[in-house]
Amino acid sequence: MTRAVDPITRSVVEHRLSSIVAEMGEAMLRTSYSQILNSSRDFSIGITDTQGRLVAQADHIPVHVGALPWATKAVEERFKDVVPGDVILMNDPYHGGSHLPDLTAFVPVFDGDVRLFWTIVRAHQSDIGGSTYGAYNPDARDIWTEGLRVPPVRLYEAGKLRDDLLDLLALNTRIAHDFRGDLAAMVGAARLGERRILKLFGEFSGPVVVQAVEGLFDAAEARSRAIISTWKDGVFEGEAFLDDDGHGRENIRIAARVTVRGTDVEIDLSDSDPQTTSFVNSSHANMQSACVMAIAYLLDPDIPKNAGAFRPVTVKAREGTIVWAEPGRPVTMCTSHPSDEIVEAIVKALAASCPDRAMAGWGRRFRIALQGEDPRTGRSFIWHMFHARPGGGASPAGDGWSSAGEWHTVGGLKFGSVEFAEVRFPLHFRRHEFLPDSGGEGQFRGGLGAALDLVVETEKPALANTAGDGARYGACGMLGGKDAPPHRYMLLSEGREPRMLKTKETSIPVRSGDVFEVRSGGGGGWGPPEKRDPAARERDLREGFVTAKGAGQ
Amino acid sequence: MTSLRIGIDVGGTFTDLVAVDEDGRTVFAKSPSTPADQSIGVLAGLEELARRLDLSLRDMLARTERIVHGTTVATNALLERKGAKVALLTTEGHRDVLEMREGLKDDRYDLRSPPKPPLVPRSLRIGVRERLRADGSVLIPLDDASLADAIEQVRASGATSVAVCYLHSYRNPAHEIATVERLARELPDLYVARSSDVLPQIKEYERVSTTVVNAYVGPAVRRYLTNLERRLRESGLAGSLFIILSHGGMAPVEEAGRLAAATVLSGPAGGVAGARRCAEMLGIADLIPFDVGGTSTDISLIANGQAALSGARGLAGERIALRSLDIASVAAGGGSLAQYEGGRFRVGPESAGAVPGPACYGGGGTLPAVTDANLLLGYLDASTFLGGRKALDLGAAERVVDEFSARLGMSRDETALGIHRLINLQMADGIRLMTLRRGVDPRKFALLSFGGAAGIHAVEVARELEIPRVIVPTVASVLSAWGMLASDLRYEVSQTHAGAGATIDDVGMRRIFADLEERATARLREWFAGPIRIERSAEMRYGEQVFEVDVPLDEVAWDAPDLVARVHERFHARHEELFTYASRDQEVVFVNARVAAVGVVPSAGGDLVVTQPMTAPAVTERRAFFDGWRSVPVYRIESLQPGAAVSGPAIFEAETTTVLAGEGDRVTVNRYGWLDIALRG
Repeated sequence: MTRAVDPITRSVVEHRLSSIVAEMGEAMLRTSYSQILNSSRDFSIGITDTQGRLVAQADHIPVHVGALPWATKAVEERFKDVVPGDVILMNDPYHGGSHLPDLTAFVPVFDGDVRLFWTIVRAHQSDIGGSTYGAYNPDARDIWTEGLRVPPVRLYEAGKLRDDLLDLLALNTRIAHDFRGDLAAMVGAARLGERRILKLFGEFSGPVVVQAVEGLFDAAEARSRAIISTWKDGVFEGEAFLDDDGHGRENIRIAARVTVRGTDVEIDLSDSDPQTTSFVNSSHANMQSACVMAIAYLLDPDIPKNAGAFRPVTVKAREGTIVWAEPGRPVTMCTSHPSDEIVEAIVKALAASCPDRAMAGWGRRFRIALQGEDPRTGRSFIWHMFHARPGGGASPAGDGWSSAGEWHTVGGLKFGSVEFAEVRFPLHFRRHEFLPDSGGEGQFRGGLGAALDLVVETEKPALANTAGDGARYGACGMLGGKDAPPHRYMLLSEGREPRMLKTKETSIPVRSGDVFEVRSGGGGGWGPPEKRDPAARERDLREGFVTAKGAGQ
Repeated sequence: MTSLRIGIDVGGTFTDLVAVDEDGRTVFAKSPSTPADQSIGVLAGLEELARRLDLSLRDMLARTERIVHGTTVATNALLERKGAKVALLTTEGHRDVLEMREGLKDDRYDLRSPPKPPLVPRSLRIGVRERLRADGSVLIPLDDASLADAIEQVRASGATSVAVCYLHSYRNPAHEIATVERLARELPDLYVARSSDVLPQIKEYERVSTTVVNAYVGPAVRRYLTNLERRLRESGLAGSLFIILSHGGMAPVEEAGRLAAATVLSGPAGGVAGARRCAEMLGIADLIPFDVGGTSTDISLIANGQAALSGARGLAGERIALRSLDIASVAAGGGSLAQYEGGRFRVGPESAGAVPGPACYGGGGTLPAVTDANLLLGYLDASTFLGGRKALDLGAAERVVDEFSARLGMSRDETALGIHRLINLQMADGIRLMTLRRGVDPRKFALLSFGGAAGIHAVEVARELEIPRVIVPTVASVLSAWGMLASDLRYEVSQTHAGAGATIDDVGMRRIFADLEERATARLREWFAGPIRIERSAEMRYGEQVFEVDVPLDEVAWDAPDLVARVHERFHARHEELFTYASRDQEVVFVNARVAAVGVVPSAGGDLVVTQPMTAPAVTERRAFFDGWRSVPVYRIESLQPGAAVSGPAIFEAETTTVLAGEGDRVTVNRYGWLDIALRG
């Protein structure tokens, strides 16, 4: 009975679907309240089918993409009696979620009586309750400390808002007004998607759309398999390390054993180290998503990010390890760390299988937040450091991007203007430039990290927190390329010993005139350094990307 | 014979010229563009124009009161990376702002493309010892020895152009001015762009990038324009020569040479000016100009009779934060190629380009282009294309489409229709995103179809977006040159006031704007003796948001006692328009004040009415695909009388364009001879 839909209809449906997710994204951008959503675009849009297969997504946050299917499955398991007008909400990492700040709204799409799709909006909340603002808490030892847990719940029943439930949720966040506004934006965007899909059903009929989607899965799968078939068969191993968990455990290992056979790839993370007591554990969905992200980077950039593209990939892991924590463990950091290390371990393993595709490591995230009072206005402030971005990894196509960020942001996170920061905060950016010698050496050099000398011009004492990783391990080199040096952040304070900052510290005292000497690492190098073109070496010296000393002269 | 105004639009292939006399008599000419030195094509075109006026070039120019010129010199220099060798003098410790690009990179999933080299390599980005604080006070005075050393490095490098950009110079330009003065003394032959002159606004990346682009294209623009003006003067031009800038206003040659980065959209700005003039003539306030060429479709927006401006644009990956017309380009045009790879059918973004061109051009193209599909569907006629000057090779189109459809496992018709349909979808998506981002509903607009390939797609694209009305002006190809003649003179100044935002009072705000108005008016007076209108706007944001909203302040009563409150209310209202909500309890930060002095130029007399020579019978028929193959009437547009009405399906042809109307669409011919199409409900 199923007649294959022709390639042109398929293509028209594909365009329609990507136009729908783009429109949902624009709606979200325009209607959300909080800055993290409307300025930093820390949200994702997706459409899945009832099996949790990703049908279409808007290219926002790579680490969200592979996680939505797991969230959908959790919703499907919980609710067997979904009706039109329902809206499901969830965030819990132990019910298909990634980490608590990523609240996710689902709207079902029916063709008559048959439920076919979900439109999904996942948005990072600036606050989700818990013991500290914003959920990133190095001291957390369980998930309840990190914030409000929301298993799949019905926010709307057949079109009717459960306002008592909304009150409960809003009451448990610190900025209820923004929370309500953002949630309304999420539901609005998801419903817009529903309306547009219903129109698509009107144009082609539900069954034709479903068949077209199957065709899109098959086409994407065929493209992936065609690429993977060029990879070398075998069992390959790669590893990456987290500096520490902030609770005293160091050198936490993420291990990937990747088997390539024909057009199939199996990723096995079972040998990774045991889970920790802190927020660097990964949830199951986030681990799955990190694996998808690694494979997406190795395939072609324009391959559709749908379930078909990732059909060749299977993932194995063990519960109780750093990549898949047991229920109750804290996990907030996981969308950056260990996501980045999972990606790195997989790419490292596959470098032996597809050397012409494997890129060297991108930087790791290491952030500072400063809280104090502005002497010019007497008002208190919180400043988050997005400056001094680490470098991107080199690739077989050339040198890496300088100051472009981490595996999980890959050039998608904008740092604000230095001038604006100086106007708005009692800070003086004495220096903010590329850090020479910070890119890993190689036939192609890693992108540079940055040097920031930041003078704190508060009068009263201030407090700093850090969160991140990579002060011990720099971005990895690939195929003979060298690792980049790790991050090195110092706090210089008159009359005190210089203090080397660790990546998971709270309440660091900062005095007037103190200087943060931030040196972020670059990206890893690709290929043996001795193969580097002499003209490129000359250019590195001339442009000051590498110093004479760094070049060993 | 009365005095003349002449518009000159240099396009990729042709240079279009139009002359209008005081009685509104309009004459056109066309000559091939000469990209290596555009002035050759311009002069040749002027010769042709004079011939059509029965005048000698000298006589014509002697009677010319004003020439308005759209140029692509800056555009091409930037796109082809053929600008000047630029050095950048900047604050010590901050010389990588340009290459850091605020940490951004375009394609999220492409981790195997190395970065494009910046316009100024690091070795030519020279740190100078000096530093201002955020309030403009001096933290480190400009160091003589450091500056001398930097200038020596510039000299040694052989750079021909210098950009100067120091931190917080929007607040206090003293260090930049001292630097420029010394450069002028020591290296007098160099082109110099100073950031506090080009874009005196907070945000160092936008300022440094814009200033660098200015320095990069400046020498070429100045050289070309100076040269052109000299030749026109030698040929007898007595009147003035004005250049269209990216914001759609015009300025004299000297100003265009100074603010060269403001000429990168000079070409397309003419099209928007023409579209605006059309909107005026038709009395339509909301119009979407839709210009389809061979490789791309340009989309802009005219809302409430005004062309939409944006400060967030760039070209060729370089940020240019000067305000310019908001023109979105979608990689979809007549030359877009169909592809089928890995089970996936798509059209574009690859284009057949000029060589080999679509297969039907006979240049040996092997993949079907949109034009090939349009030909096979009967939308184009092989013998009348471009007035019969370019016969199309139907057989070649059939061969490539057949070969391609065999791979798809589909028929020739299905394939051609699929190509046509998919490109329409992509064009519609471009419009949808453009309007969404501006917070407007496309269904309230009319689509203005121009550019040779637009007419075949306009009606279906409009249908896709539920746009109820499509307008097709005749001789759309000269719309740009003609529209330029309706442009006003425009000089913009801005001033940053960030930081003190919370404390600004009515007196302070009036002072800022009064100062800007005085400066803008004084400058405009140097070029223009007529009436001057002032346009005020401001960029504002909520607290720590990282982007600003551009708020027109023209409707604010400037003498009101609660000026600041009224300005803030305009911001809340605009925010609501764009983002559906306002946060009236949040702090509003006033970032940039902006004033445009507009020299209002009376419209060129008369409306655009052109008669074209008839080259074919008024009505014929041909078989074309409209929900199945059928015989469809084909009308020569120039044969249609104003007031004539036709129901679709029908095809309308003129020398440079073909227009399709579908079943149930109602086409009327307006008093200018243009097609006005009401789509079926």
